[in-house]
Amino acid sequence: MSARYGMVIDLDRCTGCGSCMVACAAENNVPPPVPRATPRTGLTPMLVRKLSNGKDGADLREAFIPITCMQCEHETPCVSVCPQQAVEVDKSTGIVMQIPQRCLGCRYCMTACPYHARYFNWWDPQWPPGMEKSLNPGVSVRMRGVVEKCNLCHARFHTANEKAAAAGKTQIDPADYVPACVEACPTGAILFGDLADANDPVSTAAHSPDAFRLLARIGTEPKIHYRTTQAWIRTLADKNSDRPTEAQHV
Amino acid sequence: MKVSRRDLLVGGAGVTAGFLFTPVPWKLLGDVSIWTQNWPWIPQPAHGPVDTKQSACTLCAAGCGIRVRMAAGWPVGISGVKTNPMTKGTLCPLGFAAHQLNWHPQRLREVRHRGRTASWADAQTAFEKACTEGPVAIFDGRPGRAASSVLQAFAAKHNGSYRVVPSPETQALTPYADWSGVPVSALGYDLENARTIVSFGASLLDGWGTPGRFTHLWSEKAAGATDPQLRLLQIEPTLSRSAARAWRWIPIREGSEGALATGLARVLLEERLVATQSPMAPMTLEDAAAQTGLGTEAIRDLARTLVEQRPTLVIAADGNPAIAALNHLLGAVGSPGGIALKSKPNLSHVRPQPNIGPNRAVLLDSSVPWDFVPETTAEVFRFAAWDGGSSKADWLLPSPGFLEELTDVPTAPTSAVDTYAVSVNLIQQSEEVKNTAQFLAKIDSTLPDVEKLIHSRCEEIFGAKLGMVFAEQQTPVTKFESAQKLEEQLRQGAIWMGNPPKPGGFRCILQEWPARTAPSHTSDWAAAWLPPVLPPLAAKLYQESNLRDVPARREV
Amino acid sequence: MRRYLLVFGFGFALALIVGWVAFPRALYVSRQQPLDFYHKTHAEKSGLTQCDSCHVLGSDGTFSGIPRMEVCAGCHTDKLGTSQSEAVLVESYLKPARETPWLVYSRQPANVWFSHAIHTRRAGLACTDCHGNYGESDETRVYQQNRISSYSRDIWGHSISRLRRAPHDGMKMTDCESCHRRHKVEVGCLGCHQ
Repeated sequence: MSARYGMVIDLDRCTGCGSCMVACAAENNVPPPVPRATPRTGLTPMLVRKLSNGKDGADLREAFIPITCMQCEHETPCVSVCPQQAVEVDKSTGIVMQIPQRCLGCRYCMTACPYHARYFNWWDPQWPPGMEKSLNPGVSVRMRGVVEKCNLCHARFHTANEKAAAAGKTQIDPADYVPACVEACPTGAILFGDLADANDPVSTAAHSPDAFRLLARIGTEPKIHYRTTQAWIRTLADKNSDRPTEAQHV
Repeated sequence: MKVSRRDLLVGGAGVTAGFLFTPVPWKLLGDVSIWTQNWPWIPQPAHGPVDTKQSACTLCAAGCGIRVRMAAGWPVGISGVKTNPMTKGTLCPLGFAAHQLNWHPQRLREVRHRGRTASWADAQTAFEKACTEGPVAIFDGRPGRAASSVLQAFAAKHNGSYRVVPSPETQALTPYADWSGVPVSALGYDLENARTIVSFGASLLDGWGTPGRFTHLWSEKAAGATDPQLRLLQIEPTLSRSAARAWRWIPIREGSEGALATGLARVLLEERLVATQSPMAPMTLEDAAAQTGLGTEAIRDLARTLVEQRPTLVIAADGNPAIAALNHLLGAVGSPGGIALKSKPNLSHVRPQPNIGPNRAVLLDSSVPWDFVPETTAEVFRFAAWDGGSSKADWLLPSPGFLEELTDVPTAPTSAVDTYAVSVNLIQQSEEVKNTAQFLAKIDSTLPDVEKLIHSRCEEIFGAKLGMVFAEQQTPVTKFESAQKLEEQLRQGAIWMGNPPKPGGFRCILQEWPARTAPSHTSDWAAAWLPPVLPPLAAKLYQESNLRDVPARREV
Repeated sequence: MRRYLLVFGFGFALALIVGWVAFPRALYVSRQQPLDFYHKTHAEKSGLTQCDSCHVLGSDGTFSGIPRMEVCAGCHTDKLGTSQSEAVLVESYLKPARETPWLVYSRQPANVWFSHAIHTRRAGLACTDCHGNYGESDETRVYQQNRISSYSRDIWGHSISRLRRAPHDGMKMTDCESCHRRHKVEVGCLGCHQ
């Protein structure tokens, strides 16, 4: 039976602390930025953006939206443009998998991605001397000139799968496979699970009336869902998703 | 035989044709392409056994429970401990990259004397000389630890004074200590039972106290609800993260927190919204309105909201007594959902000694924040694991970094319950660093030993037979066979938690309404972080994204 | 004309000799293991005949690989015999509690994820299917390292042409793929990469 891993991110619970961004970078051996890196050229496979209603004084309201690879299920834009077959939608998990070692750095996928969730390694990944000892052995370090993105912490899937195999099971224990951002969220705003399993809480949440997907109208069927009870957040989230770095005002 | 040019060409053609029938071109092509995937200057993760350990974070006084993933003997990942009753598996964003701090370019690894390299022997000689010549002051940023007892013992024996640099959270509790006579370390906030929380600029949702404790509570009781079980009112000039996510944000003029508190008190007393006896607040409602920029009606409304859904707890960002007095008015002192008195035994009660005149030398423990610079002409000895730039210290003494020393973690400053955890040195302490206790032990060998002190504290907890030890399972202290077993569990990352506070127990007596003091600002998100440097990955939050402002103490 | 054919043939033959004989020798640099180790001796003298006597699969599926010094120390509390290697083991590694810097013949690059648990438990492969009968060897093989890619020669396989190989000779991606294809195992890129 094949799984469809996805998330429901509760925007009403997100405080914009950024724990998910740091935990993601640490888990996936994302290097610290070079001094001249900017939000445009940085590497943030998980990125929290600020949403603001742009009003003055006491009417100003802000919310935060974590943006990661949306794991598009249908006509996945990055897969269809890659000349290298460096991206594929995994049949058994539904994860949009990026193999940086195969990437030739043309960045078609970055242009094609409607969510700006892909990042280019503009510089050699470098850590201060000695800090390479803190690298996660489950994830290989990328190199300059390739594109990377969220693989839903695939190293953790490997670990869970290996554990299941050792126990003689064919299915992983859902408790063993939790991406770093989900684990790090202090308010439990990110719900992660198998959308193909109707009993999984993530399936129920994805079908609730408060749930929505970014740019649902273009039909890529992302497996990252959002939810909020606030209409203004919902409107802004969708508008903001095609602005790569700046907070969008209405 | 003469070799012609044509022979060479034909022979060359033969060689070329021949090579096509050998593995040379194909193998070289393959190997070169592999070579281009493995540039020697790109670091590779080390090979080695992978293991998970539990401990407590030592980067601030909160002491959150951490799960440390170790590979080849080094920490490679940090996450929260779900079974920890205080943090419930949460950490602050900086904690997730804390394991990289030990290799921060500003890590101190040598003794420095006024900018020049010196040795530990030089530092010891200089400090010993200072001790014989006059009084020394020893500053501790995190009282209640086993190491604190060592500092206290040294100060007591050598004509010195032991002083504490209180955190902003501790300062905010000081007025209640002054009014009730209870030591400030015995006080805490009973957040869990409050139904309205009014924050005067305290960054409740962004690193305040034990970061995960309030965020978790807010997420369960308040997030997204229009009529939440827990109302969070944030009074702050700017739309902070806490204000953005609060039930109500009340923007006021910078520095007018005390005026608003006094105005609110006036309404509460005038309209008899509270039953507490108190001297009248010395400010008219109009004055308060003018200073805060709110209308008089807005202040009246706010005062009525304060008593709408009780218990109501007021939290200040600093020690402003006018704000603290609101809690007294609201009856939140010593009652459920208010300012709580921790039950005994309390391990961290410290009464700092008063200043006793000019000092010959000042010693700053590594727990003292880097931006604390004592105004003194004395010789300053500063312990620190990271160099935060200008410090005015004569001696910079390199201390153990993250997870490099055995230390204990006493109750967090805002906690309403006593807790005790142990943070073991998962990484071997390198030879060039020493902590304050080790340094002082070289001078006076009769000082108590940190390890033995931790041992005796575990015996104290075991002897008192109170509370619970939280590991994978929860075990009441009474179920432990011996103090050693209890200590063993704590050293493996468990946390002991005392009994919840009982209502009452102490009272505040307010003779007159306290004068307002202008609140200091703690809006810088990285300010609560003890090390003067941030983990390099924290730059994702402010350099590679627009999520946060560049912190004031940004690393060079 | 015949002369040119001869010259061409000479060049052709020279290329063949260089390509098939000299090139493989020049491509690999031989490195000595830190000490000699004999699987056969361990099997015969200590009865450690099963691979998992020393190479253990943990309950969480992690594979120990070459055992750590504490496993060796379980038997080698002191010198067991008079060989040079035994002396090196005890003096250089056992007593100072240092890990032996073995050169791992089957070490895959950092972007490869391989799970022994999945291959042995789930797929039911035997150790010898990939490693051959190395467990019965009575010699310490020389570790040959590719000068360009720095990989072990075992990855490409010992036959430079990759023709007429023993079934377990070679651990390249194509070898993984062909075995997966034979057993109708369908995995995506990140099934084996990390």
